[in-house]
Amino acid sequence: MEGVVLALVVCLLLALITKRLSLPTIPFYIIAGLLIGQSGLNLVGSDDISVFLTELGLLFLLFFMGLEIKPDKIWKNQSAILTSGVIDLNVNMIIGFVAAYALGFSLFDSLVVAAAFFISSTAMALTSLVENRKLLMRESETIVWLMIFEDIVLIILLAAIGSSMDNPVFLVLKLAAVLSVVYLIIRIGRVYIATLLKRDDELPVLLTFSAVLGIAAFSETIGIPVSFVVIAFGAMLGTIDTEAFEVHSRPFKDVFLVVFFVFFGITTNLFTGGISLLAIIAISILAIVSKFISGMVIGRVIHRNSSSGIEIWSNTIARGEFSIAIAALYGSPIISGTIATMVIVTSVVGAFAARYSNGLKRLLLRTGREIPPPRVSIPE
Amino acid sequence: MALRSINLPGIGTKYELETDKGDVVAVFFLKTGNIQMYTLEHDTQTPSVAELTDAEARRLGTILTGAIMEADRESVEIAFSALSDLRISVHTYVIHRQMAGKSLEDLKIRAKTGVTIIAVSRGDSNVINPPPSFVFQEGDAVVAIGESDQLKNFERDIMGA
Repeated sequence: MEGVVLALVVCLLLALITKRLSLPTIPFYIIAGLLIGQSGLNLVGSDDISVFLTELGLLFLLFFMGLEIKPDKIWKNQSAILTSGVIDLNVNMIIGFVAAYALGFSLFDSLVVAAAFFISSTAMALTSLVENRKLLMRESETIVWLMIFEDIVLIILLAAIGSSMDNPVFLVLKLAAVLSVVYLIIRIGRVYIATLLKRDDELPVLLTFSAVLGIAAFSETIGIPVSFVVIAFGAMLGTIDTEAFEVHSRPFKDVFLVVFFVFFGITTNLFTGGISLLAIIAISILAIVSKFISGMVIGRVIHRNSSSGIEIWSNTIARGEFSIAIAALYGSPIISGTIATMVIVTSVVGAFAARYSNGLKRLLLRTGREIPPPRVSIPE
Repeated sequence: MALRSINLPGIGTKYELETDKGDVVAVFFLKTGNIQMYTLEHDTQTPSVAELTDAEARRLGTILTGAIMEADRESVEIAFSALSDLRISVHTYVIHRQMAGKSLEDLKIRAKTGVTIIAVSRGDSNVINPPPSFVFQEGDAVVAIGESDQLKNFERDIMGA
């Protein structure tokens, strides 16, 4: 208990500083964890309480992600999503996998590293677009859809990796059965749920909290991939009233996610051996280079322009919450250290790259006065 | 003039308007509740941005719609885009001497023009939904509601008479 409190206070102080400098907070929570945990001063270790709270953090992260998933909108924009998404997936997954395998990770570990290597931080990309006031740029829509595509890939990965042990056919049937029953319940009860959400007592919060925990506990008991079910559950509840569920689950997400990040740092030992620190840093730098390649290809293919490529790159460098989630779910100790370092390096570099992307364009393209690319014409 | 709107998941809703001269104005209703307004001059690359709170945006909106013109001639047009573009204009007028002493029934405002008088303000007191027997006095401020064509008829036939 004291450990959790100490960790939270450290995070609060760090958040005050980083928000003032408008830097992303996620890497600093992890750094804080590394400093007070196994890799550093060893002041705080994990206990039953911290394990439970980190689980909550992960559950609410995934639930929140599910709420934002709108299958009909994704379907309507599939052409915009697919082209850039497929480039991004291929370039980064392949580079990440080959690099991890070459550095001596096992086949499964390389796959996990590749997934964490591939997936950019949706939270950081979107925050950077808003805070750096880049929403009008043509590239910002491409970036938003790219993040959606990555989220979908993550969902598929979560369903696939989590279920490798069991008989796959039986598992898919079980999953389909559970999801259809949940869907039916939500479908039938939607009017009732919608009225419950509008109350101003404790009911809406209690409903949201217990629904998320309930579905997670149930999935765990009957042995279906919890993370996948929680996202799907979020997507289904999102059809009733996305905003209300977001409002009622945001405080849980915000607090428990901080616990999740800091305890990821605390339980990660950077010095377990097996893979050198140099190799870990090499992977982190490669993670930046690899997004540069995919960003440039996407920029050239979609916007026919290198400066768009740099814009896309600078906003997608940061790896964050989902990379950590993958590491927490499937990672061995060696992987956790690698991914923690990668997230710290890429998110700090990414924050500055996104802020100074115009300078980067001038620097990298060496054309101070590039002719402005024609804007996309707006259909009437 | 070309307008398009798009929902950007995780960010909010974007409305982008390209003027006939090629300037672009884009408004983003962010999930945080704030509003970012971008203006991009024709043939330039760097937009200027203003971030507005909800109240500031509404204030700006009323200025742009020209709702407040003069103290005695205020009008607001309300558009319900969800109801197949239903538009209702609300307008205020000041009763002049020729109309004083007549009742709503005498003037036959609704029968002649389709306009409904929904409120009358006299000095410090207000009458909402005045009855047909209501008699006007000079200087009463009335609030009339109707389509903009009906309001034009009202101005010509009743106010102008």
